[in-house]
Amino acid sequence: MIATTKKLLDEILEAMAGFQKVGLVGCDGCAKVCMTGGADEVAAMAQELKKQGKDIVFEATPERTCNVVKAHPVLEPLKDKMQDTDAILVLGCGGAVQVARQLTEQYGLFKPVKSGLDSVGHMDMVVAGQVALEQCQECGECILNDTAAICPVTKCAKSLLNGPCGGSEEGKCEADPSRDCAWVLIYNRMKALGEVEKLKKFVAPKDYRKAAKPRTLYIKEGRLA
Amino acid sequence: MKLTELFQRKEFVITSEVGPVKGCCRNGQPEFVQEAKSLKDYVHAVNVTDNQSAKMRLGSLAASVLLKNQGLEPVFQLTCRDRNRIALQSDLLSACTLGIDNVLCLTGDHLRQGDHPTAKGVFDIDSVQLLSIARSLNQGNDLMGNDLTQATDLALGAVVNPNFQPLDLQLLKMEKKLASGAQFFQTQAVYDVRLFETFARKTEDFGVPIQYGVVIIKSPQMGRFINENITGITVPQWLIDEMAAASPEQYKDKAVEITTRLLRQIGPMVQGVHFMPLGWSDVIPRVMERLRSTCQCGG
Ligand code: SF4
Ligand code: SF4
Repeated sequence: MIATTKKLLDEILEAMAGFQKVGLVGCDGCAKVCMTGGADEVAAMAQELKKQGKDIVFEATPERTCNVVKAHPVLEPLKDKMQDTDAILVLGCGGAVQVARQLTEQYGLFKPVKSGLDSVGHMDMVVAGQVALEQCQECGECILNDTAAICPVTKCAKSLLNGPCGGSEEGKCEADPSRDCAWVLIYNRMKALGEVEKLKKFVAPKDYRKAAKPRTLYIKEGRLA
Repeated sequence: MKLTELFQRKEFVITSEVGPVKGCCRNGQPEFVQEAKSLKDYVHAVNVTDNQSAKMRLGSLAASVLLKNQGLEPVFQLTCRDRNRIALQSDLLSACTLGIDNVLCLTGDHLRQGDHPTAKGVFDIDSVQLLSIARSLNQGNDLMGNDLTQATDLALGAVVNPNFQPLDLQLLKMEKKLASGAQFFQTQAVYDVRLFETFARKTEDFGVPIQYGVVIIKSPQMGRFINENITGITVPQWLIDEMAAASPEQYKDKAVEITTRLLRQIGPMVQGVHFMPLGWSDVIPRVMERLRSTCQCGG
């Protein structure tokens, strides 16, 4: 999922300054899981903005606002209401905000679209409802097959590919001692799997063209450009 | 002069380290140059740190050239933290062009503890890859296989941390560095002689020169500070206690005594020593004189 955190109310109010009539769009996908932009959070934000003297024109929470397949059927019927707003506030990831913006343009509307959240990573829920971890940064050439399914690109603070730096102490990372050193994790697992020898192989510098932003995926052809 | 030539001649190679100043050096001679000059008769070369601890300073290449101009032999430290593969290769070409003979290839400390913690870390390539790239430049090709009009001619050093647990994982990386072109190693600071012995035994078949690294501990407080804040180094309690038993005016004498003792014990296991005096460079002549007088090592 794409993990999100809430922006401070002051920052949101600053972005919404001068806009009296507001439409609210949440996301019942990742933002719901992160408790930042599901239907409940959208309702709470509506209350808050009303308290601040704004008028809420509509509230909507598509199941996946980043996906036109889910967002369009929910937002299209709200076209007239959108027309009636001064601005739209989206409680979703950066992608959701931009898909919402794209749809308003598609509907022939020219409305300010603002973001109420900060996107903080592609994360995996590792403790139900409590902890999400960043474990993959979509580098475009996955090496998990060679690293015992633990990603050094993401989980090593220096993205080292050929083994650990010298800064690890008691298995913890130099950059943040509350975190495990990814290379100690990889080594221990490779050892348990009897695959340590494989770690001796030189890993060449990554081809960052595969991670160069912005990437486009042509789904039917499975082609990345 | 390349350190590799000294190792070939079976010299016990002695290096120290200075940190460039945080500021421009157009006018006057900066203190780190004076500090390095004071060591001229005692060390073969002086490492120049590269924005050490991720604190922004004068560049290590410019500082290395300043030392070279004073007749000192610099070891140019080059980290992957702040440069992508283009900048790294370009800096290696620049270093050789400016007369540098030795380069120490490192990953670099993380930005978290530095003075620009909001910066974006580069880490485009790692130290093993950097060594292999530097070796290619020595052979006349860049990373992409393009020809250079003139190859570099640099002695390539690397670092290893004998304190690392599990040690075999650190040694695995050391072997990769060796296979990628490392010609000599400088170790992280070690104070545990038994631990160093294990490391020395496990690496003796590597056939690569190793310099024992030692940070001069200046006070018991510094020992405790390192243990609490610097990962990868452990200052043992005996050393902290020994310093604490001395009065502050005696700390420097104590540092000389402890460092000499460590070198007497560890020196015979290695091909050189690398001092990290953190400003206390005046300790080094005293240590070397003591060692020379007893002819244990480093003579
Ligand atoms: S190597 Fe790491 S960052 Fe790259 S795709 Fe695999 S898990 Fe993701
Ligand atoms: S301590 Fe481990 S995880 Fe942290 S930067 Fe070094 S190698 Fe990477």
